[in-house]
Amino acid sequence: MAPCGSGWLANEGSKHLSLLFWLSLNVWLFWKTFLLYYHGPQYYYLHQMLGLGLCISRASASVLNLNCSLVLLPMCRILLAFLRGSQKVASRKTRRLLDKSKTFHVTCGVTICVFSVLHVAAHLVNVLNFSVNYTEEFLALNAANYRGEDPRKLLFTTVPGLTGVLMVLVLFLMCTASTYAIRLLNYDIFWYTHNLFFVFYVLLLVHVSGGVLKYQTNLEEHPPGCFHPNTTLREDIPVPGTFEEPFPEYAPEPFPAELEPFVQNNFVRICAEEPKFQSHFPETWLWISGPLCLYCAERLYRYIRSYKPATITSVISHPSNVLELRMRKENFKARPGQYIILHCPRVSALESHPFTLTMCPTDTKATFGVHLKIVGDWTERFRDLLLLHSSQDTEILPNFQQRNYPTDNWQCYKLRRLYFIWVCREIQSFRWFADLLCMLHNKLWQENRPDYINIQLYLSQTDGIQKIIGEKYQVLNSRLLIGRPRWKLLFDEIAKCNRQKTVGVFCCGPNEISKVLHKLSNSSNSYGTRFEYNKESFS
Amino acid sequence: MGRIEWAMWANEQALASGLILVTGGTVAVAAQFKGWQFAAYAIVAGVFICLLEYPRGKRKKGSTMERCGQKYLTAVVKVFGPVTRNYYVRAILHAALAVPAGFLLSTILGTACLGIASAIYLLAAIRGEEWNPIEQKPQERPQVGGGTIKQPPTMPPPRPPPETRKKQPAEEASQENPIPVTIEVGGVGR
Repeated sequence: MAPCGSGWLANEGSKHLSLLFWLSLNVWLFWKTFLLYYHGPQYYYLHQMLGLGLCISRASASVLNLNCSLVLLPMCRILLAFLRGSQKVASRKTRRLLDKSKTFHVTCGVTICVFSVLHVAAHLVNVLNFSVNYTEEFLALNAANYRGEDPRKLLFTTVPGLTGVLMVLVLFLMCTASTYAIRLLNYDIFWYTHNLFFVFYVLLLVHVSGGVLKYQTNLEEHPPGCFHPNTTLREDIPVPGTFEEPFPEYAPEPFPAELEPFVQNNFVRICAEEPKFQSHFPETWLWISGPLCLYCAERLYRYIRSYKPATITSVISHPSNVLELRMRKENFKARPGQYIILHCPRVSALESHPFTLTMCPTDTKATFGVHLKIVGDWTERFRDLLLLHSSQDTEILPNFQQRNYPTDNWQCYKLRRLYFIWVCREIQSFRWFADLLCMLHNKLWQENRPDYINIQLYLSQTDGIQKIIGEKYQVLNSRLLIGRPRWKLLFDEIAKCNRQKTVGVFCCGPNEISKVLHKLSNSSNSYGTRFEYNKESFS
Repeated sequence: MGRIEWAMWANEQALASGLILVTGGTVAVAAQFKGWQFAAYAIVAGVFICLLEYPRGKRKKGSTMERCGQKYLTAVVKVFGPVTRNYYVRAILHAALAVPAGFLLSTILGTACLGIASAIYLLAAIRGEEWNPIEQKPQERPQVGGGTIKQPPTMPPPRPPPETRKKQPAEEASQENPIPVTIEVGGVGR
């Protein structure tokens, strides 16, 4: 990322601030839970048995609680789309933050993996300690049945142990299938394994109900480390750290609440009764039930809404293997920039694919359309089905998702100028929208706004022979440039012509272009122009 | 689902399992747990698996992303010919390597993960997939025009006299849009 300037702050500031907030929350939660189990008197005997493994496993569990609940929220797309499009979220900063929902989901996912490793390692040590430090004194605290019981048997025969192992395997499958290489080259594997998350959550709900770790309930009657009159004083019990400083008889400050019972038995700490232990209420249920219900409701809503099929009204073949599909559906509303997800059971029962809308329904015309490039087996089969049955009305079931950018109604948006830069490999590709661009240009020319749209078309691969798009597209031919765009020069020119303004950059393209544009948007220029960077993503 | 290449996923799993084995084994050896010999074995097996699985195989169709610096290990793995090419061999090898690590608590999860990787390799082998090394591409020519032109013309245009120069057949807009294109926008920038 380029060094800090107003560009960097505008583009990255709120994102990094939110990340910092989330990170602090995790650190605080980890630290708080660690200290609770390290110093808490109700865990005194348990800590004695298990050692540091107890504190680390519980602290990592609390971080896992937080992240397992947060990881579902960015996937509630309809809710996010509603927030993004509603008038209540008017700030562009907030909308751009909502665009980063997929990144946040990945961040939480990675955190879950990392802390799961920590949690599992600490619990394996706990299992070992349960076996080795089996206590005859406090039988209720034990997880093992006898001293020296095989820890592997404990792992596989207790409810938390078995569900834990299964969760590790599910997480392993999901994690290895979510790497960048697999998502890029074998998306199906990623998609199908990621749906195992539901199994993971069910196992998690059962995992925390095991109640193996217990806390002491009768701290007043039996302060930990107290003296039992019938047994000899055990020298090797470490006194809880809170006692090590002498308490003055009349202290000016009041004692903290948890020390009250100990102060009463200050000099003669005699146990009134045996310690009683109880399992915790599964806190995780409270953490994840909300987001899980929300997500399930969202899936149900998506399913119900997509039940009515759309009718294909026309199929148009464009050069370079592109198909244009026009459809109609009852009560369908969409805004420029949104995308839809197509599901055609006759092509594939399980697969569905997102496509940006290239034509939105309006008040006068209900037809909407998408352009599909035929790449891959689903689009090939879809095309074959469409062209074979081109005379009939085929039914497909579209799901509708809202695109992250730009979603505003452009009549109320203060758009002053649009720079449209389109890079293609083959000259025929420009024909996909050549008619539309020419008509738009002519209309604006007639309305005396010729500079409203600046069209620049780039042909990145050429065999040296001068080409034109077509005789009737003179407007576009004169705006056709050979070679890839020089982005730095383009940015400088736009900055110079729009001084002190904010320019939105919207990129649909491969990652290499995206990185270059992002870097250029972050860097500062001498004209005071700010570039706000946005990227297409079907998240 | 017809075009899924399972071997790529099995490769990721095997690499991850190797790392899990190394981690679990290191912990047990460092803490001198009972049965640490199994842990030492797990470390060795894990390192071997990581080295074997690091070079990614070539996909049947399309380009494959290489792992950073994998070309050195590709050269080594390629030497073993059919033994490393065949996925049945890998499936059996991983299943066999996984078993001894199952006796120790800290490496038992590595066993389970390697077992799954072995099963997916078996699936890949049944579907006829094979490991093929990713070969290096030949060096590209130095870029002309700052990298904006992919194929610069190499010959000057021949210029015959005007009488013999025939007009190039113009690329007609042979595509007639069956449905007329209209613009559906409201007022512009008001």
